[in-house]
Amino acid sequence: MVSLDDKQQKGRRKGFSSQDIKEMLSGYLYISPFFIIFAIIGLYPAIFSLILAFQKWNGMGEMEFVGLDNFQVILSDPLFWKSVYNTVILGLMGTAPQLIIGLILAFLLNLSYLRFKAFFRVTIFMPYITSMVAVALVFSVFFSNNETALVNYIIGLFGFDPVSWKTSEWGAKIAISTMVFWRWLGYNTIIYLAGMQSIPNDLYEAAKIDGASIFQQLRYITIPLLKPFILLTVFFSTVGAMQLFTEPTVFLGNTAFSRDEAMTVVMYLYRDAFKLSSFGTASAAAIVLLLFIVVASAFNMVLTKRLGRDRRET
Amino acid sequence: MKGDVGTKKWGIGRIGMYLFLTVITLFSLFPFYWMFVMSTRHSSAYNSIPPAMVPGDQLKENFQKVLDMIPFFQSMFNTLIVCLTVTIVVLLISSLAGFAFSKLKFPGKNILFFAILFTIIIPPQLGLIPQYLLVAKAGLLDNLFAAMVLFFLNPLGIFLMRQYVSESVPDELIEAARLDGCSIFRIYRSIVLPIILPAFATLGIIVFTSVWGEFLWQFTVLRDPESYTIQVALASLNTQFKVDFGMLLSGVFWATIPLLIVFLLFNKLFISSIAEGSVK
Amino acid sequence: MKFKKLLIASLSILVLLFVAACSDSSSGDSGKTADGKEKITLNFWMFGATGYEELAKEYEKQNENIEIKIKTSETADHHNNLFTALSAGSGAPDIAALELDQLDRFRDAQDRFVNLYDMGADDIKGEYLDWKWEIAETNNGEFLMGLPTDIGPKGLYYRLDVFEEAGLPTDPEEVSALIATPEDFKEAAIKIKDKTGKPMVASMEMMYRAQLDALEESYFDAEGNLLLEESGNGVKEAYDLAIDMNELGLVGNYAMWSAEWANGVDDGDFAVELGAAWFKGWMESNAPEATGEFNIATLPTEYSGNWGGSYISIPKETEHAEEAYEFVKWLVSPENQLNSFKSNGLFPSAPAVYEMPEFTEASDEYFGGQSTQTVFAQSAQKIGKVYKGKDYTSVHDEILAALVNSQAGADPEKEWTEAIKRINTKLDR
Repeated sequence: MVSLDDKQQKGRRKGFSSQDIKEMLSGYLYISPFFIIFAIIGLYPAIFSLILAFQKWNGMGEMEFVGLDNFQVILSDPLFWKSVYNTVILGLMGTAPQLIIGLILAFLLNLSYLRFKAFFRVTIFMPYITSMVAVALVFSVFFSNNETALVNYIIGLFGFDPVSWKTSEWGAKIAISTMVFWRWLGYNTIIYLAGMQSIPNDLYEAAKIDGASIFQQLRYITIPLLKPFILLTVFFSTVGAMQLFTEPTVFLGNTAFSRDEAMTVVMYLYRDAFKLSSFGTASAAAIVLLLFIVVASAFNMVLTKRLGRDRRET
Repeated sequence: MKGDVGTKKWGIGRIGMYLFLTVITLFSLFPFYWMFVMSTRHSSAYNSIPPAMVPGDQLKENFQKVLDMIPFFQSMFNTLIVCLTVTIVVLLISSLAGFAFSKLKFPGKNILFFAILFTIIIPPQLGLIPQYLLVAKAGLLDNLFAAMVLFFLNPLGIFLMRQYVSESVPDELIEAARLDGCSIFRIYRSIVLPIILPAFATLGIIVFTSVWGEFLWQFTVLRDPESYTIQVALASLNTQFKVDFGMLLSGVFWATIPLLIVFLLFNKLFISSIAEGSVK
Repeated sequence: MKFKKLLIASLSILVLLFVAACSDSSSGDSGKTADGKEKITLNFWMFGATGYEELAKEYEKQNENIEIKIKTSETADHHNNLFTALSAGSGAPDIAALELDQLDRFRDAQDRFVNLYDMGADDIKGEYLDWKWEIAETNNGEFLMGLPTDIGPKGLYYRLDVFEEAGLPTDPEEVSALIATPEDFKEAAIKIKDKTGKPMVASMEMMYRAQLDALEESYFDAEGNLLLEESGNGVKEAYDLAIDMNELGLVGNYAMWSAEWANGVDDGDFAVELGAAWFKGWMESNAPEATGEFNIATLPTEYSGNWGGSYISIPKETEHAEEAYEFVKWLVSPENQLNSFKSNGLFPSAPAVYEMPEFTEASDEYFGGQSTQTVFAQSAQKIGKVYKGKDYTSVHDEILAALVNSQAGADPEKEWTEAIKRINTKLDR
């Protein structure tokens, strides 16, 4: 309980004033729709998966309690660790560039003197709008193993040997990262653009008068002030990258679940569930992934926060 | 003018910038263009190496085949309902919650905020069976509401709104309104909402497009062809061995056009709101 | 105020949308027809291009009280969805197609299916090929999971111009006589490579399947034991054969179902395909330029196997088992199998069809007018019993991966052992 002095000091009424209670109730009320919906549609699957991680279940029969067995199986499976490795690499290659280039793009699209703004905005978002069916087909054809595939043809012009995009260690990763980058660049750019709207113009004006270049303005004004949005995209992109499933699956098609070059963790657990009829181990893998996501997000957020700090002018 | 950084009019910097943007544009549009080309050509053009780049003459024929095979317009309509509803609901929920987290005080606020992070943790592929079970037991299979319900849950929306409200709505404004005796809802409605309209445009287009492109969940809960959303309908054209690629990509192409239109509409809203929104 | 109106407008739209959405759910069975029979809706899930939609409409005309709703999806999606529905115990269709390779995944769940023997399937058992019928049986023949639809008897699709260039005969009968044993096959392959420089087969999988598909027990024996580690097992032999042929330069590296493969077929980049009867559907769609360039001969017995084919089952959840059964029985009756063959090339599993004039007289324009179905009919009769096992596909995928890696230069023996290790890890689940 705060004393009367504190209350007076802070110039506000704390504790049990009716206005404060109204505010509290409103607060809970306003956030409740989200949590109610979660309780209905999100909580049950989460609990179900949690329980399932300690059972052996093939989807149809009885569940059998097996304690920590599933975790042991997963953690001692070299393929699981390969999928973790793949996921991290794909995340670095596909997701990190998205955020950096997205930021630059958003900055450029925000410049007042840029012509054709609307046009660029639309075209950058097109990949996200293009149906996954078409995306899969296109990338599959462009990046196929054969010498005559478009990408192989292009790199051939530069003197490189054709790459087996779908079956080689780095080929697959590069192809899929490109696909992920291509698809999500516009998405992140749009979010950054939204954030940039709230940066007042006067700052840029002042900087211009002081003779700052574009890069300096980007570095000292935009990025620090945009930091919360950057944190936002970093967090969600990290989660998205760790849960990568669709792009590798549609790119590889038939061989998606039998080759290890581009298997991500979610693909690994999907395979367990729907191909090997082993839902217990799939759930266990999901839980391990959860831990990884928490760690990775925390790490990325800290990193991002610190990056901003060096550059901020107080 | 906003963001004016005053480099020379046609200096290296500018040219480089336009060059960069053009490269990105070509890179982004290329597959879409190919998709358009394929929608006007015969199926065998799919396999052509190098890829077909010149539009053909099968535009009408391919699309006619699509119309014969799937309830295209019905699916589009269904998809529209689903996307629109989800977008409106998410915008409402996110703005309310975002506002609350940003400007209201209540115990446990921070903990609850972080709790939201944990709602996206279970990968959708694994949550599929229990979620399907819930929907099935509720008798909602083949009902568009089932297709929507999963997507009402959107943590990104809340985060985005909260951030936007924090940055764009000055505390003083709210204090002033409160001293004037405004109810909290009035504050939300009359002060916050107008200011965060640009964020609405952004979040709106993101949600709308995401739901439009959703396949797995819709496919699982919508089984009656009359209730299909467009992605599910298109998928039934992809029969693996005897695929007519011209038809398939025609369907995909025409299914994307309305989305493009929606985006352009949102875009206008986005732009106009910017001009208004920055006046404080 | 403007925004108040916006809010009210959005809320009204929302309400309208909810109402529209909720009333969009399909109503189940309702009402009766003129002659007092109850109207029934049967949900039928299937995959692939089968032409069953037309047949269903026919059936509806003949049986006014029955409505058949067909849902077509891609094979993997179809089976996953069915699995999900069966797992949750809710939402399964009245009728579901099952592909041969996926059948075993559902065998464990036979309690979720109607035993077709209970519906009287015994009566029609004799109308279908033995080996095909028996695969769908479980519990020592007491439970029947599905009625047979089509089969995939294999034949030798050979490229006329390549054979000619290599100095080999091009008439189907002569080719069948020429390539009567695996050794003959190899000899022909070497000759073709010598004279034309082209590989015999397009991919490792194709070569591997040549022997694999013909084995009675491939990955598992009837008790479910993994056979791969036994010495002299058929799979290893098939594997070694593919490796062997590859080292002689007789195998191409066109990934199956890829655009390059289609182009290879168009351009005649390789000599043969050991394909099933349904394969020509793929060829027609994807390699139209090769019309008239291929003919079909029979394969040596050692390579005569079955590839693919499906069944139609009735999930137990249905409330109309009898009506569903009547429809399915009608759908796969010999007369209708002939129709499916004519419209979509589904190769019949009812031998009676092979004698029907419309069948024997059919000729394939794509194959220069050859009556290809007779070749496949011969092949179909030669096929023996096959046991696949629950985890067939998982094991199969691993071996394929090993083959592809070997072709790319990895050590075949090492790949084999690695594959076995991975397989064992998978099976331990």
